[in-house]
Amino acid sequence: MSTSMEDVLLQVSQVRYKKGDGTLFLMDQRLIWMVENKDTVVVSHPYADIKSQKISPEGKAKVQLQVVLHNGVSSTFHFTNKTGIHGQLADRDKVKEMLQTLLPKFKRKVDRELEEKNKLLSSNPALLQLYKDLVMTEVVTSEEFWSQHAQQYTEKQKQQPQEIGVSGAFLADIKPQTDGCNGLKYNITPDIIECIFKTYPAVKKKYIDNVPSKLSESQFWTKFFQSHYFHRDRKYAESKDIFTECGKIDDQEMKKDIQTGVDDPFVNLTEFEDKTLDEGYGTGSNQLPGHSGTVSQAMIKRFNQHSIMVLKSCTTKTTATPAQQNGTDPNFSNINGENTSGESTTSAAVGKRKRLLEKITYDDLEDVESKKNATSVHLNLSKIERYLHGPMPDSNTDYINSSEASSILRGVIQETRQWNSRYPATSLVTPAAAVGALGELSPGGALMRGFQEQSLAQLVPPDIEKEVRNLYLALCELLKHFWRCFPPTTSTTEVKLIKMHEALNRFHTAKLKPFEDKLLRELSPLSHHLTKHLNQLLNAAYQKFSNWQKIKSR
Amino acid sequence: MNNIVLPDETQTDSSSDDETSLVVVILDSNPGQKMLRDSPHVLTHCVDSIIAFANSHLMQKAQNKLAIMACHSKTSQFIYPGQGKHTDVRQVDGQYEVFTAVEKITKKNLAKVLTADSSTVTKESLLAGAIAMALCYISRLQRTKPPGATLNCRILVVTGSSCSASQYMNYMNVFFTAQKQNVVIDVCALDQHLSLLQQGCDITNGLYLKVPQLQGLLQYLLWVFLPEPPIREKLVLPPPLKVDYRAACFCHRQLIEIGYVCSVCLSIFCRFSPICTTCHTVFKMPALPAVKPKKKKKI
Repeated sequence: MSTSMEDVLLQVSQVRYKKGDGTLFLMDQRLIWMVENKDTVVVSHPYADIKSQKISPEGKAKVQLQVVLHNGVSSTFHFTNKTGIHGQLADRDKVKEMLQTLLPKFKRKVDRELEEKNKLLSSNPALLQLYKDLVMTEVVTSEEFWSQHAQQYTEKQKQQPQEIGVSGAFLADIKPQTDGCNGLKYNITPDIIECIFKTYPAVKKKYIDNVPSKLSESQFWTKFFQSHYFHRDRKYAESKDIFTECGKIDDQEMKKDIQTGVDDPFVNLTEFEDKTLDEGYGTGSNQLPGHSGTVSQAMIKRFNQHSIMVLKSCTTKTTATPAQQNGTDPNFSNINGENTSGESTTSAAVGKRKRLLEKITYDDLEDVESKKNATSVHLNLSKIERYLHGPMPDSNTDYINSSEASSILRGVIQETRQWNSRYPATSLVTPAAAVGALGELSPGGALMRGFQEQSLAQLVPPDIEKEVRNLYLALCELLKHFWRCFPPTTSTTEVKLIKMHEALNRFHTAKLKPFEDKLLRELSPLSHHLTKHLNQLLNAAYQKFSNWQKIKSR
Repeated sequence: MNNIVLPDETQTDSSSDDETSLVVVILDSNPGQKMLRDSPHVLTHCVDSIIAFANSHLMQKAQNKLAIMACHSKTSQFIYPGQGKHTDVRQVDGQYEVFTAVEKITKKNLAKVLTADSSTVTKESLLAGAIAMALCYISRLQRTKPPGATLNCRILVVTGSSCSASQYMNYMNVFFTAQKQNVVIDVCALDQHLSLLQQGCDITNGLYLKVPQLQGLLQYLLWVFLPEPPIREKLVLPPPLKVDYRAACFCHRQLIEIGYVCSVCLSIFCRFSPICTTCHTVFKMPALPAVKPKKKKKI
């Protein structure tokens, strides 16, 4: 029994549901109804699912209460208290009041989801428009819309924020200020603390152990900056520190890291001596006596360790997040994020060689000669004249025989003779010809064909234009899902295909048809011109679908 | 081309920072044009119309410049401004001297060009060459113009010849040069539709108009070609027709929409051939499954 763990807030017997007598229980999470004398729960509605409750009006013969769910389903309960109508009313009112107090509590949960969707819609105007066009016109159900069409938007929200790495110089960036009386003041922010914890897990452990049980937060950090651990490069021994242990842990880690080694040929963690090149290009072995005390060694060591820690803090994060892209091994100290320890020695050698080559070759010093020597190949053409004619159709050139040509020439020259004498001014363009030319050049004239189409943009009012755009947006979304179903190889895609086809049909009747009617009424000259392409798109989809059905039925 | 004298522009242009616009009118004077064969009087009509158009252009602004070229089957020449100085122009009928000069010089030089051509064999007009000369002239003016001045140049081709494929490469070179130099090429076709020149107009953002009736030529010229390109956008002018950019195959010279292009010499073929007939490159047969059933059908 599922009721065993729940509290019964209200129990009303003699309630009829779908012609069966039973008892109505109001639990702390849901509303249930059980058949008389049986332990089976017939109706169970979690309060979160309930959208509203309705009661039968006063004076009706039946005293009923209806519960409407968010998905549109409703259950009606008929109160049949044997004591008569007053008892029935009393029973119902009890339930009603109880539900009234209960429902708002659970409503908030649903609301949060709704709020999220609301926020998503208001921040994406395109999605909102799509929602208006597809869901409000019932072309697509709300669930379908959120699960399929708005997927990319909801996914975008779920994306995890990227982890910020640790700056290598974060400790150096904390600039201590002198307070004037031989003291230093460190200003640290939560970001810096975060960095310290990320880089030095041992300190974090100490922090958790000590704060706030033994020390206050400021005390802890004061101690940290005063500690031997923080000033490790300065060699002085003081063992009363709470951070001494941290240092030991870090030293162990460091040793481990050095043992695993670094696969970078340019890094040598164990070498601390600074060898300079001699004048004879040999390495000088003249170690200065007294110089290079352990202080500088400790310094170098500290730097190395700090770098290792900083890099480690990043690698551990990348492995923790699913979006791991660089193939670095977290338990391996990699200074340069290059190779992993699991690789075989041969590949390591190859990698080393590659790295060395990268370092010693310079692109701009490559000899230019080799490039210049590349001889160009001559293009051998067999029909050059054909080649020079280019891709032009053969025009039938009409030849004129020489006698005709000479007669034309004579005529032309005759014409030129007239030019010398100033002939009486005759009008160059006759009025009739001018009017004819003007008619051809005016809108609607013979030369202005196609002008109408061009100015379609000017003829369409902005609101219609917007509507067309929205129609396209919605239809393209639907078509996208429709065409994505092809080829329907699995049964799920087939189901989706049929669903999308229905949705397209609904869109056609619910959105496109009314719009076309409106156009016919308001913009009769355009009428079907605007929606022609939309219809073409739809028809192509219908065609594809019917073809698919034909093939399938075969 | 060096025979023409560059007009003095130092006095006028240095004082005004206004834009100057130059129109180079290329008049096809080839006697082989069909309309001239039918009636030689058309030539006078055309020349007069062009002179009137040119004068209108000059009238629009004092700084406006003009050049007129005659394009023939063997040569292309500048007929205005022509050789030497023309100082002998006096005012006639109260007409502005420059206009008279334009008319006189143009007619005189055109007559010279026409009478010089004594050959009885007619060939196509060398329009591409004429446009190239015009471009050279324009670039010379651009180079020598005073600093700071802007010179807007366009070329108007008025021709009744038909398009010929033999100048294809020249045309394309000229069009793209014009495009690069921001020179607009307008074409006024008097007789036949010129698909190649139409492409040139499209490439250079010029206007192409095939005049429906020669009687109203001046009307068309003034209405369509007189406004400068920036102003044209604001006017209701004949909309550009769809330019046919289809290429003809090299083998049959037929226009095709989809064809085969040799990857070595870029020749276009309407059918696949294993050896390119232009450059003899050997291609592998396409191993597409779609080709196989075709083969069977052929056999």
